[in-house]
Amino acid sequence: MRLKETARLSVESLLAQKLRTALTVLGMVIGVGAVVLLVSLGQGAKNYVLKEFEGLGTNLIVIQPGKSDKKTHFGPPVGAAQRKMTTADVAAIERKALNIKAVSGLILGTVSARHEDSISNITVFGTNEQFPEILSILIGRGEYFSREEDEYRRRVVVIGRNIAEDLFGDDEPLGRSIKLNESEFKIVGVLAPMGNKVGLNFDELAFIPTQAALKLFNEDKLFGIRATASSREGMDDAVAEISEILKERRDGEEDFTIITQISMMESLNTILSMLTYVLAAIAAISMVVGGIGIMNIMWVSVVERTQEIGIRRAVGARRRDILQQFLAEAIGLSVLSGGVGVGGATLLTYALHLFLPSFDMRAPWWIVVPAFLLALLVGIVFGVAPAWRASRIETLDALRYE
Amino acid sequence: MTLMQLSNLCKVFHRGDEEIFAIRDLSLTITEGEFIAITGASGSGKSTLLYLLGLLDTPTSGQYHLRDKATHLLSDDERAELRNAFMGFVFQSFHLLPRATALRNVMMPLVYSTAASSSALNEQQQRERAEAALRIVGLQDRMLHVPNQLSGGQRQRVAIARAIVNSPRVLFADEPTGNLDSKSGKEVLALFERLHSEGVTVIMVTHDPSIAERAHRRLVLGDGALIEDRHAS
Repeated sequence: MRLKETARLSVESLLAQKLRTALTVLGMVIGVGAVVLLVSLGQGAKNYVLKEFEGLGTNLIVIQPGKSDKKTHFGPPVGAAQRKMTTADVAAIERKALNIKAVSGLILGTVSARHEDSISNITVFGTNEQFPEILSILIGRGEYFSREEDEYRRRVVVIGRNIAEDLFGDDEPLGRSIKLNESEFKIVGVLAPMGNKVGLNFDELAFIPTQAALKLFNEDKLFGIRATASSREGMDDAVAEISEILKERRDGEEDFTIITQISMMESLNTILSMLTYVLAAIAAISMVVGGIGIMNIMWVSVVERTQEIGIRRAVGARRRDILQQFLAEAIGLSVLSGGVGVGGATLLTYALHLFLPSFDMRAPWWIVVPAFLLALLVGIVFGVAPAWRASRIETLDALRYE
Repeated sequence: MTLMQLSNLCKVFHRGDEEIFAIRDLSLTITEGEFIAITGASGSGKSTLLYLLGLLDTPTSGQYHLRDKATHLLSDDERAELRNAFMGFVFQSFHLLPRATALRNVMMPLVYSTAASSSALNEQQQRERAEAALRIVGLQDRMLHVPNQLSGGQRQRVAIARAIVNSPRVLFADEPTGNLDSKSGKEVLALFERLHSEGVTVIMVTHDPSIAERAHRRLVLGDGALIEDRHAS
């Protein structure tokens, strides 16, 4: 039997029972649609998170005290270090490393900030004057504190926009003083609105010089060091340099961990991809359910048309002609469900992108094509058994079947 | 020229432990161009014999040669191809596809054809052949009707058109007039006689003596055995 005739027969037979065809296809449509939607959603989330991270500057290098035996891209447990990390380490890096554009120590803590009757609890970062360059911090008014202000342990502060509003309302905060715990700090700068960056709301942070911070928190060691490489290509050299310098200062012991933005992004990428695949796999299970629906209706169809099979066999259809006919019908069902499911879900992701331009969850081509092929495969796999059964029915039994 | 040669043919059915001989040790020769009626009481095995001759069923033992082919040695597919190229079937209950038009029903054997003469036909040629067959049975005005828009006699004529569309050498009919009124029955018989006169071998099962009269040779079965083989004078 020719392919064209087979196709015509299966289309005719599917059209003859429109409601039944639609209901059979529905299960598979939902399954394959869910695969495309969830993968697109996962992909969209991944793009969003990575974009956020990139906003921090891709040349960021994070240096944390302590070394964990296990390889991780998120650093050692806090407090695992034997040796302290100090401002002397920062100075050494600044002096010796050639591939570094900026480096700063980081010390952080929570304090109560007070101005007249207004009080709020805020997070304070102690850094040197190079920190804005490392994390792409934008100053709105005034300026970030200077190297001299750090060295002379001046009590100056740069505050985020929300803190300025909370404490001063509409008044100008520049040049005024606030109390951090019991120490008075002079406001020298206010950040431009920056919003959230990887979970940190910069509008609610305050920055003070490292030396002042060590005193404020009564500490003699840094939380960590942050640096930025001169270029993306110089990243590996910068990491090697920092590692050399710090080891030298620690009698050759590597009691610290260096994490780069790139390695963190790679880890995040892996985690988010894994999440996407798991979601897709769960959705794929519903495709199997859809496939069972197709198989079920194909069994019914074979039984209903037993006499037709007998007639066709009597006038000369071979077993493989019957097999082909019923398999084509199952394939027709899966092409229909694959087309509607994949097409519908893809259109939906494009429509959602129109309403949420910042969140790009448009279905990537690498899921659209395989999802359709998977639907086709499921249809074929579940269509084979009924079609095989149809082709094995004995001609005379089929002819006499009522 | 010998068309069919049956030697010691048996067909046994099993019902539990019991063996039932539908056809018992039957030997028979049929020559090309005969018009044969197979008669007998119900349960005598006449339909079983027809289906064995028509390769719709396989014998339990014995040999059946169709021309020079030992059909009992053929595969299922080879028998299907022989049915398609060599035989036409007409059944008591018509056995048309209910959703297909008369034309589509008649075209069906051509679709499955693997014989060199007709497998090369394109759809247009298949349609023309089917239309010609429908004209022979007088249904040129009913080609696009589906079976339930046709009377019983018309349906049986569609079935005959389907049986002859591939120019078979043998036409098998199982009680072809059983579901028809006498007028339609006569028309169907007239068609068989016409086809026979054109050289087609006709083999027909019937329990109606007046119809059996019309055949040139009459085979009477009893309990699966041939009890009478009478040529008309």
